[in-house]
Amino acid sequence: MDHVGNPLRTAQDRRLPRIPEPCALVIFGVTGDLSRKKLIPAVYDLANRGLLPPGFVVLGFARRDWGDGDFESLALEAAKKGARTPWREDVWQRLASQFQFVPGSFDDDAAFDHLAATLDDLRERNGIPGNAAFYFSIPPAAFPLVLNQLARTGMADNAKSGGWRRVVVEKPFGNDLQTAIALNQLVDEVFTPQDVYRIDHYLGKETVQNILALRFANSLFEPVWNSKYVDSVQITMAEDVGIGTRAAFYDASGAARDVLQNHLLQLLALVGMEEPTSFDPQEVRAEKLKVLKAISLPKDIAKGSIRGQYLPGWVAGERAVGYLEEKNIPSDSTTETYVAVRLGIQNRRWAEVPFYVRVGKRMPRRVTEIAILFKRAPHLPFDPADVEMLGHNQLVIRVQPDEGVVLKFGSKVPGTTMEVRDIAMDFQYGEAFTESSPEAYERLVLDVLVGDRTLFPDAAEVEQSWRVIDPLEAAWADTKPEPYRAGEWGPRASDEMLAREGRSWRRA
Amino acid sequence: MIGLWDTTGNEVVKALAAERRSAGGVASGLALTLVAVVEEKKVREAEAAATIAAAAHPCRLLIVVRSDLDGRSRLDAEIVVGGRLGPAEAVVMRMYGRLALHAESVVMPLLAPDVPVVTWWHQEPPETIANDFLGVVADRRITDSAQATDPVAALRRRAEDYAPGDTDLTWTRITLWRTLVAGAFDTTDEQVVGATIVAPEKDPTAALMKGWLQSRLGIVPKWEFTDRSPRLHSVELQCANGDCVRVTREENTALFSRTGQEDRYMPLPKRPVGDELAEELRRLDADQIYSEALGAMAGVTGLDKKPPMRVHVWKDPALAARANADAGAMAGPGGSAA
Repeated sequence: MDHVGNPLRTAQDRRLPRIPEPCALVIFGVTGDLSRKKLIPAVYDLANRGLLPPGFVVLGFARRDWGDGDFESLALEAAKKGARTPWREDVWQRLASQFQFVPGSFDDDAAFDHLAATLDDLRERNGIPGNAAFYFSIPPAAFPLVLNQLARTGMADNAKSGGWRRVVVEKPFGNDLQTAIALNQLVDEVFTPQDVYRIDHYLGKETVQNILALRFANSLFEPVWNSKYVDSVQITMAEDVGIGTRAAFYDASGAARDVLQNHLLQLLALVGMEEPTSFDPQEVRAEKLKVLKAISLPKDIAKGSIRGQYLPGWVAGERAVGYLEEKNIPSDSTTETYVAVRLGIQNRRWAEVPFYVRVGKRMPRRVTEIAILFKRAPHLPFDPADVEMLGHNQLVIRVQPDEGVVLKFGSKVPGTTMEVRDIAMDFQYGEAFTESSPEAYERLVLDVLVGDRTLFPDAAEVEQSWRVIDPLEAAWADTKPEPYRAGEWGPRASDEMLAREGRSWRRA
Repeated sequence: MIGLWDTTGNEVVKALAAERRSAGGVASGLALTLVAVVEEKKVREAEAAATIAAAAHPCRLLIVVRSDLDGRSRLDAEIVVGGRLGPAEAVVMRMYGRLALHAESVVMPLLAPDVPVVTWWHQEPPETIANDFLGVVADRRITDSAQATDPVAALRRRAEDYAPGDTDLTWTRITLWRTLVAGAFDTTDEQVVGATIVAPEKDPTAALMKGWLQSRLGIVPKWEFTDRSPRLHSVELQCANGDCVRVTREENTALFSRTGQEDRYMPLPKRPVGDELAEELRRLDADQIYSEALGAMAGVTGLDKKPPMRVHVWKDPALAARANADAGAMAGPGGSAA
């Protein structure tokens, strides 16, 4: 719904936050992990910050036989545990009175009719003119069922509901190109494509958005952001934890499908993309898609990529079991917990610049960073012995933790000799977020309700990312991952892969 | 922490540099210098607020306490880097005697190079900002009219004395109110034909609310005085079709009522000064909406056309006191100015 304009709002009044129109948030799988750890706390934090509209209702849909009261206590526990902002009982009381539980299984027609009736009811009771966002916090296998139910009851229809109807889906967006296309088609058929929001929570992080500010708001970096000056790019996402309780899912997918396909390729796209014409969602997505399309795989995938799997070892002073000893993992599993791959981007800006991308579990520490390594100066008028310790100039964007930017360059060591050595200039953002950053979800949930699509990858991006992953997976079939000790920076073969090209991994 | 008693400006600059060196990488990315002008009894309060604000905006914090203008000129300073004042690097300066009138001579060399300067008066706002050099040197100036004896008159004075880049914390205090009121008109095209504000007669936030509605909607809101509530109590907007939207404060919540809809409650907490200060520091450019609201409230036009830079106007309180004393029959206690 577009209005002539609210006279009380102007672009200049930047104190007034964006607040969604009165709407309902329908969460499928509301009793699940994601909903309890991220969504409900995010909704509480939004309420606490006064960012939710006066007419706002959360409808929880799940399979259990619960009353509103039981649901409320579950939500209370979840919100209290996960909330980022201070706990305020009165805020919660208000919010809790707007929570409703709709019990039912996904094949239960009556339950969905009840849900549709409840949504219609809100129009009268809460002044919500048909606006609703459906959050799919459920296994992908259940998607078709729920989507068909939404189509059958007409709940996904913008025109029929008189407001907007949006759908939010979480990764995994399929597990290869084919399943992704099938999933996208299904979702797009039931909802209109522009009402589909795919969550990649990395894009909700402040530092990731800052990549765009760093690149396109400054004149300092862009001139050297190309193959003339850049030697190579290293993108690292290391986790110190193991696979936790996700054994079944993880063993079936592995590190590449789990995070390389989404988080890391999105980071790569943001670093590599050309300047968008504007920050309009359409324009940003168009530029990201161009980069994803230009990604080239190593000619010989066996040589240009390394898969690894962790052995028992010690991480942060604690004994860690090996992947094969993890609960519910078959002892002959060949699923990777580490991937390093040398990608390229086939365009004028990035020709010949390798993008080394690595992800791993049970690494020495948790860190996600993007390092731009610049070429050495073409000529060094120093005695070779004086510049022995001088490495590549580096610009490192630390995504998490301690988000910030580091610039590494050579400087003279004070003293009578001309000795040049690397030093780091470190900029830290004041705030801190954690891996399970509820802030990212807060931001993204708000964006969905407001209708801002900038931070959500579209179907084309998701499909294009699978076109990168699929050939890798095909080449890896029937191979065994290289073992590495838990608490190490991945298998030795990965170091050798870079050493063959005269480079080495940055210790992240 | 370093404490310096009866010291000089140069010593303070050296001590700050030494403290930064020994503290290592703390506060390496400075976004701004915040100068807080505070009276002695409010120093703790200002420190607490600045600590909260500094968590969101890494800054160099310079707290200036001016007292005992008639005494001997003296400077005491305390330098804290990454200590009890959070991530900020802070210098708390107490200035006495004639030195207090020349606080800028100590403050200027301490301003972080080439980042914006924000001056915040956590005390009764100055009558004329141009008389305080600490206000003249600042890119943004933050006053708090609620701390004046007659807050509404103080706010009017802000309009007369306005320069782009000025804001008042009474404006910050109604951001949440304005959010609620503006939100009510996101989904309707109804024209607003009248408004009623219920608040105590001396409430500056109500005055600004009135000014804001007046400047945005071109209506003249009614202000009903009340003694029931110590602060802004309610805002009601009447629409052309007879509908009515009302926001009423109840403790830390707002009761939001609208014709034809169920009443609902929205959070409306009283924020600590630190949060308000952090909101101010988020934007370092002039707030045009504030200037319009302030102008409408005081009946002054063209506020945003005023030059953003002030020129310092020297005013010696000792001379003024002496003039007063001469005018009166009895000699005042002052007059010992050097």
